[in-house]
Amino acid sequence: MTYWTILLATKAVEKTAEGGLFDFDATLPLMALQFLVLVALLNAVFYKPLNKSLDDRAEYIRQNLAQAKERKQKSENLAKQYEQELREVRRQAQEIIASAQTEAQGIVAGQIKEAQQGLLAERQKAAAEIEAQKAQAILALEAQAESLSGQIVQKLLANVA
Amino acid sequence: MTVINALNLTNSIPLASLEVGKHFYWYLGPLRVHGQVFLTSWFVIAILVTASILASRNVQRIPSGLQNLMEYVLEFLRDLARNQLGEKEYRPWLPFIGTLFLFIFVSNWSGALLPWKIIEIPNTELAAPTNDINTTVALALLTSLAYFYAGFKKKGLGYFANYVEPIPILLPIKILEDFTKPLSLSFRLFGNILADELVVAVLVFLVPLFIPLPLMALGLFTSAIQALVFATLAGAYIHEAIESHGEEEH
Repeated sequence: MTYWTILLATKAVEKTAEGGLFDFDATLPLMALQFLVLVALLNAVFYKPLNKSLDDRAEYIRQNLAQAKERKQKSENLAKQYEQELREVRRQAQEIIASAQTEAQGIVAGQIKEAQQGLLAERQKAAAEIEAQKAQAILALEAQAESLSGQIVQKLLANVA
Repeated sequence: MTVINALNLTNSIPLASLEVGKHFYWYLGPLRVHGQVFLTSWFVIAILVTASILASRNVQRIPSGLQNLMEYVLEFLRDLARNQLGEKEYRPWLPFIGTLFLFIFVSNWSGALLPWKIIEIPNTELAAPTNDINTTVALALLTSLAYFYAGFKKKGLGYFANYVEPIPILLPIKILEDFTKPLSLSFRLFGNILADELVVAVLVFLVPLFIPLPLMALGLFTSAIQALVFATLAGAYIHEAIESHGEEEH
């Protein structure tokens, strides 16, 4: 096994020793030139168009994002405004309801009072009428009693006479 | 000598042959180049360019398919460059750093994943372009040039002030660094990729089935990491060259 590896090593060294490994020649400048041409070529067909594509896309995305942000801001503002309006309207409705309630209560109370007053007056009127009729009855009674007493007196006088 | 016979037997299996330091030479006038490196690098370049063209041919706002993948890749590269250079400075350097990463990454993975050896070429075999020292040195030297260029462009001759800041005693070390940076960059990449391919090849050579698989997976991991390291370091060096002293954030 060792023999084998040594053999391999010497073989490799032999090949290297042929001097070909570091064989500099016109390949070097021509390769450099060729590489520069490749740079120019790729610059034209790879870097420029695709850089532009990437930049354009980044710009497009940035613009869209800005627009979307703006729209979001706008819609948020609108929502806030609507909410405020809603709150205002609710408050107004509440006020209207409350005022209507107090108004109705006032009306009810007024009418009750009026009715009570009417009742009282009627009662007083009735009482006065009763009083008057009572007095009239008493007067009639007195008259009757007087006439009766007169008759009694006449009868008595007649007897006497 | 049965062992040697066994060795020769395994050696005759085409998958298990090792070809190091041999090149498929092309001659362009007086110039001599490594054909196998260029063949595979053209393949890598073709992959990158084709994928890019297909991805950016019809750019949609909502990406799908290849466009999505390539945009993901681009975002990764942007992050990489931005982390090193900062938000303000990374854009002009993105193509350079990003292409470094892509080229090295696709090269490494093509070497690790594709059965290049099936394609027969004279004298040697196809492998990852980063397997060749010329490629890595070329990339490393370009990185050096890039950070010098970045420094001079940003500060003019004031760039030399970098060498004596924060204390002039470090001047020799700073000068030395200009040589060690490309050296370490190129040799790290070259060494890792070559060593990975050699280790896998030797293991396949010894045990042709299953045993090399974990090592191949490790090779994929190393390849990706090396691409990331190269690109990150390139970014860091450029940042070092353009950063202004006095307002250091780190």
